[in-house]
Amino acid sequence: MTKASCQSSSYEMVLIFRLSGEAFAISVSRVHEILDPIPVTEVPNASAFAPALVNVRGAIVPLIDIRQRLRMQPERPSNSTRLVVLELPVAGIPTRLAIMTDAVEEVAETDISALEPIPDLGSRWPEQYVSGVIRHGSDLAIFLDTENLFCPDPERVAQS
Amino acid sequence: MDDINPAIGAFVQEAQEILEGLEDLLLDLEDRSDPEQIDAVFRTLHTVKGSGAMFGFGTLARFTHHFEDAFDRIRAGRLSIDGRLIDLSLRARDHMIALLNCGGDGPQATALEESPEAIALLAALFEITGAEVSRATGGNAAAEATSPVQQHGALRRWLIRFVPEVNALRNGMRPDLLLEELGGLGQVDISADIAALPGMDELEPTRGYLGWTATLETDQPKSAIEAVFIFADDAELAITEEMIAPPPKVDPESSEDEPPSGKVKEKSGESVRVPAVKLDEIMDQLGELVIAQARLSQMASADAELESVVEEIERLVTGLRDATLSIRMLPIEIVFGKFRRVVRDLSTELGKVVTLITEGGETEIDKTVIDRLSEPLVHMIRNSMDHGIESAEARAAAGKPSRGTVRLSARQEGGEVLITIEDDGAGLDAEAIRFKAIERGLLSSEAQPTESELFQLIFAPGFSTAKQVSSVSGRGVGMDAVRSTVDALRGSIEVASRRGTGTRVTLRLPVTLAIIDGLLVRLGNAVFVIPLAAVEECVELDAAERERESGRTMLCIREHLVPFLDLDEVFGWSPSVESPRRVVIVKFDGQRLGLVVDDILGQNQTVIKTFSQYHRDVPGFAGATILGDGSVALIIDVATLARRALAERAERKPAA
Repeated sequence: MTKASCQSSSYEMVLIFRLSGEAFAISVSRVHEILDPIPVTEVPNASAFAPALVNVRGAIVPLIDIRQRLRMQPERPSNSTRLVVLELPVAGIPTRLAIMTDAVEEVAETDISALEPIPDLGSRWPEQYVSGVIRHGSDLAIFLDTENLFCPDPERVAQS
Repeated sequence: MDDINPAIGAFVQEAQEILEGLEDLLLDLEDRSDPEQIDAVFRTLHTVKGSGAMFGFGTLARFTHHFEDAFDRIRAGRLSIDGRLIDLSLRARDHMIALLNCGGDGPQATALEESPEAIALLAALFEITGAEVSRATGGNAAAEATSPVQQHGALRRWLIRFVPEVNALRNGMRPDLLLEELGGLGQVDISADIAALPGMDELEPTRGYLGWTATLETDQPKSAIEAVFIFADDAELAITEEMIAPPPKVDPESSEDEPPSGKVKEKSGESVRVPAVKLDEIMDQLGELVIAQARLSQMASADAELESVVEEIERLVTGLRDATLSIRMLPIEIVFGKFRRVVRDLSTELGKVVTLITEGGETEIDKTVIDRLSEPLVHMIRNSMDHGIESAEARAAAGKPSRGTVRLSARQEGGEVLITIEDDGAGLDAEAIRFKAIERGLLSSEAQPTESELFQLIFAPGFSTAKQVSSVSGRGVGMDAVRSTVDALRGSIEVASRRGTGTRVTLRLPVTLAIIDGLLVRLGNAVFVIPLAAVEECVELDAAERERESGRTMLCIREHLVPFLDLDEVFGWSPSVESPRRVVIVKFDGQRLGLVVDDILGQNQTVIKTFSQYHRDVPGFAGATILGDGSVALIIDVATLARRALAERAERKPAA
């Protein structure tokens, strides 16, 4: 999501998923598929942000723990746990990656131009990883800045 | 040049290869000038001239002709070979490549032909051959070039019948040029044979229907006439000497067993040119096949009949894999060969006498690695010659032979190829590096780095201790580029140097193969792959007695002490409580090292999938693979794993 597109009135499909009860949104154009939990392979000495690999239909895909960057506590897998496979450019390279979510809720149409900034006060989200909040029924959903969120090098994010 | 005729493209590519080979031939000539070698050069030039004229590279053909003249004289023993001649020949060969790269006759080629360098080159060639400079430019060369006036010998009359193959025009053949060249041999009388020409409504413009009959009066031998048609090997060609008596009937079959055409045919049958992308495609497909086959063999274990079929398939897949990999493997000699010229040119430029010794050129390495290796090696050789090797006076003062030596060697060790560049020069000046590093802020003035740590600094961007920048090196760009290339290939660099004695730089590169033989090991619930090439043997841990001696952890295996690493410790996992455990003994940096695992599961063919950017920096792994059951297993990179673990252990030791 670039800032420019946020200003014009445009409707976009977003995927709403939950992490520890909070609703998050990601542009559907980034979503490759949604899977039931599959076995993961831990990579020893890897960062907590990218701790493991999964086999998605014959392709080895890194599993990214976005809770690390969103400063959230880990959660135990449940019946509703889903793997969301995304395909997006990471540092300019088209990359497929997977994130573990507590539940996938729905695909909704949302007006990106109505994206509201997160109020400074009381926000617990690191601002570089979120673009704003969108209305989701009576609730709010955090619209994630995928470019920064999935950047492999956290120092680069801090600078930008 | 998008609509370039494929035949012309093939000519350019082939000529390029021929000219690359020519460089080697010329350099060989410097040490060993036997007649065979000279003949080989002559043949090469002749081939390029002939085919160049045929494919519309007239400028190239003209120039090559003069070059060929010089070698004709050498062949006849009228000219001897010296360094100056080799210099000239090498430059002439470079000029030929430049002409070739113009892509045929045109303004670019003409500009090159008339450039002062080219004229100087020609003048130098004429000086050797004794020809007149006035012949240098202009005119229709191929014809004029072989003008019979210069030659001796009795005139003979030849009857030549030449009927190009019907599709020859489509392949870029130019009968007009050939006939013109024929005219260059002497007095010629050509008549066209239009008997095969159909009516206008049936005529296909891309087909050739014509044949020619020529009567040639020349003092040249029959072979010279044959040479004109050397590339028209599909054509019907008959060359007969005409007696004073009535002309004999032309026998079209007589050309069948002529050596020139036979040679060309055989050459094209020896090898096939394939774009590298196609090889990559095969490799990808093969990778999928290997993974599918692993899954199949997992499923087949319950059914004996099926299992035997699966085993057969496994055998075939292995064979296919080895064959495919061997296509991709090239001897490193290909890169090494280029450096003879580099060293020779630099010797002249720097005024130093340096011998290049290459060893282990037969070591094979994946094509992708070879392609990227050439540039860093050039940088390192330049460095060795400019900074390493001293001037002849300094060498004499130090009691060394005035001739410097650069030794380039390659060998395989486990899953790695080691490339070493060694010079007998002045060695690295640790103090100067230290001083420069502090000045550049790379090192604090209190730091006490080890010598090898200091030497690593020469790879920092922009680092150079050279007092002056020469055209060869000293800008500090080269070694930085070397390191980034080697890093990108997942290799490493070691520097050893002794002041006054010389410097040795070793590149360790994985034989990055897309598929390797792997040993599957289990650690807890996780499965890892150890490249089989690095494995020496497997033993039970109980049989190997653990020995702790002055803090060092060693295993005693058949009375030999072997250092070992507990993989769960290396991976930061909780220690395994399983028993018995096993030790995989691997080769690493020329020594033996034990890796302790819970169990050994067996062998498999492992398709290496490289890590994404999220895991690229995780040390100790070469990538990951998918096992038969669909799970992902990590491939252990023994060298980086061991190096890091041992370095950490060494760091901890003083503290403990």
